[in-house]
Amino acid sequence: MDGSRNHVIRTLETVKRWGRLNSPWALHFNTGSCNGCDIEILATLTPRYDVERFGIKLQGSPRHADVLLCTGPVTRQAHDRLLRIYAQMHEPKYVVAIGSCALSGGVFADCYNTLGGIDQVIPVDAYIPGCPPRPEAIIDGIVKLLSSLQPVELQMEKETV
Amino acid sequence: MMGTILPVLASLLLFPGGLTVFLTGMAYEWMNRKLLARFQTRVGPRWFQPLADVIKLLAKEEVVPEDVHPGLFTALPVVALAGCLTAALYVPLWGVGPLYNFPGDLIVTLFLLSLLTLCLGIAGANTFDRFSLVGATRAFTQLFSYEAPFLLALLGPAFVAGSWQIDEIMASGAARWVILTQPIGFIVAVIGLIGKLELPPFDAPEAETEIVAGSLTEYSGRGLALFHMGKIIELVLGITLIAALYLGGLYSPLDFLIKTIALLIVIVILEALFARLRIDQSVGLWWRYGTLLVLLQWLGTIFWKGVAI
Ligand code: SF4
Repeated sequence: MDGSRNHVIRTLETVKRWGRLNSPWALHFNTGSCNGCDIEILATLTPRYDVERFGIKLQGSPRHADVLLCTGPVTRQAHDRLLRIYAQMHEPKYVVAIGSCALSGGVFADCYNTLGGIDQVIPVDAYIPGCPPRPEAIIDGIVKLLSSLQPVELQMEKETV
Repeated sequence: MMGTILPVLASLLLFPGGLTVFLTGMAYEWMNRKLLARFQTRVGPRWFQPLADVIKLLAKEEVVPEDVHPGLFTALPVVALAGCLTAALYVPLWGVGPLYNFPGDLIVTLFLLSLLTLCLGIAGANTFDRFSLVGATRAFTQLFSYEAPFLLALLGPAFVAGSWQIDEIMASGAARWVILTQPIGFIVAVIGLIGKLELPPFDAPEAETEIVAGSLTEYSGRGLALFHMGKIIELVLGITLIAALYLGGLYSPLDFLIKTIALLIVIVILEALFARLRIDQSVGLWWRYGTLLVLLQWLGTIFWKGVAI
């Protein structure tokens, strides 16, 4: 009896993970970037790179999004807003830091009005370096993030079962 | 007793209700997105994309925001989907004649399909979020503008057939394609369907570049998934209805596939060609041109009927 229940749970988990891997909806938030990275994100969404191939869709509402794409260093003004948007997203949620500034503060490091990289404020799952990173690098980063989810969730599954 | 319940259950859960409607809806949504992508010289989504989206949404955490009526918040998506699933029973899906029929089922089906938009509007008005409120206002405005011409356009074939029952209209329309005698009605019906589905160019109620996601801004997880399912089922049912009434009826699965896919391609081409209309522009379009043209069509039909008798 118990064995068959575990089996059902495992199958359900596999199906859920498959759904999550194949349909990451993204939300784009500029925490204080110089706009270079934002332009590259927009370029990633154009027909030339066509991220709909991977099921990635840009969403307007944090409630719908699974992946938060952050660009730029966290400025003191953006800090509260970043926290609020992160809190508005529903579990499971992932954060991708795009560009050198989002990684470490970049050229804005040690400025009086910035707090450094995104990971000073919220947990980050993937880092994409570059100033700004090319669209190929952004796509690569998101795909790597998604494929790295698999073993982690498998582990979780083992723990719960 | 069992003997009568089992077939009914099967018809509700497997065919033509339930599972078949879901799968058909996903297949048509995929076709819609893929065709649109090809028109924009993109590769487009993979074939299982709609399924993955729905599974992901169903598995996501659901949060009921503050300031909403929690009962209404959870009930509305269910009501919207139930309306669409009920409508599926009266429509000749896959060319198999409608399962249930009664005199006047055309009107009931049309109103069941409107239930989705109604629920969307109430869902938007239920939350305190300003984007949802604007979305709800726009959804209702659009509802009041396209509903009259759409209804009149679909009643044209019913008027000629002298019946308000879908399979009787189909039987009388089989002899001649109604699209040839009532072309204006057909055009208005197709454009009305685009308005009903809130696809571009009539996507002002959920314009993501202006008002985030319209009335669904606060929804996520299950609620969003159910609304999404309702919408793709409405796409299939609307196309089936127009094909059945205007394109000489649907009598076999092959018939169904050819006619509905042809209609879908027309809709996607319109979707790809036009940019979004402002809400006042689409209201003007419906009332100033759509309704008047359909009324003209009606006048012509009435005269023709009078002459023929
Ligand atoms: S990484 Fe470069 S392009 Fe991106 S925000 Fe920083 S300075 Fe601008």
